Amino acid sequence: MKPINGATVGGRVVRVALAGNPNAGKTSLFNALTGAHHKVGNYPGVTVEKLEGSRFRGETEYRFIDLPGIYSLTAYSIDEVVARDFLLDERPDLIVDVLDSTNLERNLFLCLQFQELGIPVVGALNMSDEAEAKGVRIDDRALSSLLGLRMVRTVGTKGSGVDGLLDAIDAAVGEGAPALKSIHYGEELESHIDPLQTSLALDAAFSSRYPSRWLAVKLIEKDENAFSRLSEHEAGAGIAAEAREASAWLERHFGKDAEIIVSEQRYAYIHGAVRESVKLVKKPSFSVTEAVDDVIMNRFLAIPVFILVLWGVFKLTFSLGAYPQGWLESFFAWLGGAFASALPEGLVRSVLVDGIIAGVGSVFSFVPLIVILFLLLSVLEDLGYMSRAAFATDKALHAFGLHGQSVFPMMLGFGCSVPAIMAARTLKSRRDRIVTILVIPFMSCGAKLPVYVLLAAAFFPRNPTGAVMGIYAIGVVLSLLVALVFKRTILRGDPTPFVMELPPYRAPTLSGVLWHVWEKTASYLKKMGTVIMAASILVWAITTFPAYEPTAAESATLDGAALAELSMEHSAAGAIGKFIEPVFRPIGFDWKLSVATITGFAAKEVIVSTLGILYSAPESDEGGGGRLSAALRADPDWSPLLAFVLMLFTLTIPPCLAAMATIKAELGWKWLGFEFLFLLSVGWLLCFAVFQIGGALGAGVGT
Amino acid sequence: MVIAEAPAGASFRVVRVMTGKEVGKRLADMGFTEGAEGAVVRGGFLRGPFQIRIRGYDLLIRRSEAAEIEVEPIGDWSAARDAARNRRGHWVNGHGCDGRGGDE
Repeated sequence: MKPINGATVGGRVVRVALAGNPNAGKTSLFNALTGAHHKVGNYPGVTVEKLEGSRFRGETEYRFIDLPGIYSLTAYSIDEVVARDFLLDERPDLIVDVLDSTNLERNLFLCLQFQELGIPVVGALNMSDEAEAKGVRIDDRALSSLLGLRMVRTVGTKGSGVDGLLDAIDAAVGEGAPALKSIHYGEELESHIDPLQTSLALDAAFSSRYPSRWLAVKLIEKDENAFSRLSEHEAGAGIAAEAREASAWLERHFGKDAEIIVSEQRYAYIHGAVRESVKLVKKPSFSVTEAVDDVIMNRFLAIPVFILVLWGVFKLTFSLGAYPQGWLESFFAWLGGAFASALPEGLVRSVLVDGIIAGVGSVFSFVPLIVILFLLLSVLEDLGYMSRAAFATDKALHAFGLHGQSVFPMMLGFGCSVPAIMAARTLKSRRDRIVTILVIPFMSCGAKLPVYVLLAAAFFPRNPTGAVMGIYAIGVVLSLLVALVFKRTILRGDPTPFVMELPPYRAPTLSGVLWHVWEKTASYLKKMGTVIMAASILVWAITTFPAYEPTAAESATLDGAALAELSMEHSAAGAIGKFIEPVFRPIGFDWKLSVATITGFAAKEVIVSTLGILYSAPESDEGGGGRLSAALRADPDWSPLLAFVLMLFTLTIPPCLAAMATIKAELGWKWLGFEFLFLLSVGWLLCFAVFQIGGALGAGVGT
Repeated sequence: MVIAEAPAGASFRVVRVMTGKEVGKRLADMGFTEGAEGAVVRGGFLRGPFQIRIRGYDLLIRRSEAAEIEVEPIGDWSAARDAARNRRGHWVNGHGCDGRGGDE
């Protein structure tokens, strides 16, 4: 456990948890509060990112921890469990509850639950400018005194209200533990909460760790997580039985489930408070959001609009991305040339130029594409389009065993599987999450694109774009079919709930979008610096060693390229390739392709650079991939059919190391192992069928 | 009546959420509690999700969830139903109102 009030030199540290509903502008307020001083970590045990940032004022360091956006403190989703475990186990000095002022009732529902935790709470009436424009007039004094906490108006996107918020934090922390002004749940409930609370308070095993009232209410709500906390201690069994009896009595008395009774009491309380402090001074007018939604969510237009948006995103990504991509390619070609001429001939030059610069360079040029794709998707996300996309696609995706909320992770999958797999966390049901994660590799990521582009340019010269689009489409179809098979077999179960907020459209802010892009691209860049770098060096090493000394006769008769191929054949890579060739022979791969495929497990882009090395036509050479394309076309073993099979194999084999590590982190070893074997066998069988049938039909002969 | 039976444009008052457990608790936490007033903004294409307005915000729920929320109608649902049918007819058949839903 971290020190709560760990003193720094000459100052004090106040640990503030920033919490609130999704779409309440928490991230922009966090940015306004902390500026650029972020520290990204993970919550213990889960991969949910934990964001920390500090702000200094006078002698005080305010250390803000950004909790995931949640609607309630149940154990409904990982995000809720994370937020609640953090608040219970780490006990920050204060909670700032970021409230969407335009939507106070539902936002305050969470606020009441924070107040029961026995931690001081300050309410940030965020988006107060938007509320004013809508004619929502909030009497914050009245609301403060009704709820018993300080309220400060803020506008996170403009950074206003920050000083007031810090003043309120100081005052609330200064008062210490709040005089528990928690809500009164009515006589029937209170008479059952009270004895439970007393039993919990009397037992030091619980009272030292958990706020008694909060735990008592959770037990009445039949919260499983609360019961499991209770069972950590032997005295818990008696209290658990007492709680179950109380819930059962209440359910008989009210004729509804205990957890719903508690929520109803909370809403009744909030409704009263809001009625007394919030006035609507303007008649609600037909808003822009409604006008746009009448088109975008129209029953007949929703799906075409979604397809149009998707198409537009791709079109923009590839047409804008071509420029920086070209610049980067020339840059790396220049860099390789510069090192080649500056360094003496030898191993050092070889590893730097042929290994690292060629390997990382061929991959790095695709970063702009990924950045642009994530930029566009982040704009759509911040704009509020993603819930409209979920509305449009839920029915269709549901038919294939997926979920409307699978759509965003799957779209991210076109950029990089790593953030896509992580984004699947928004899916509440574990089964939906597993299915979504398992099919994400079928969404061709940015790393598979270079392979497609190279092969399409070489073997489908008449319509390379069509060939690439075709393989993308095959991936999408496969993802749906595989999801359907999983949902019908290993991941069967009742349909899971679909309850999703539909926020109004909001103009994305530059800092918000950039933050989202950074969040998603960082994982890709990290992979580049580690996995791809290491893979490039490894590929270079196994293709270079052991060095082969050509005989005098060979030196005399063979030209440079043939000599290079000969030395390759005698290298470690050649040996490995020949060893596994029998496995790949049925799908048409020779030892060179076998090596390329193996290196592709490190990262798909490496397939291109490996082929470059194997065919002695480094991709970073002048003219980009032109030489490699020509080399492949000239090779008699290659045919359009083989090129298509390699594209298919690249699409279906297990994703790169970084993506597999992410699957392991999200779902554990068991699912990773399953996914690995599943993709390997599906990929191999599919390629086998295509290669054999295609070969029999003579598709390999004609162009 | 349940929300799943409500036509687009219909207003309602929640009587109760008929399911407990996770779904019921979630719906209650999102504001579907006894007495809360709301409206169906639209239903999705081919029995897709509903867009519901409640407590001043909008959310999406599937038809299966909408079938678990018991409500009482506010105002005349049949008028809303006719209006919705006419709008639909307009799209599907390519001609406008056929005169059945004119009592608004």
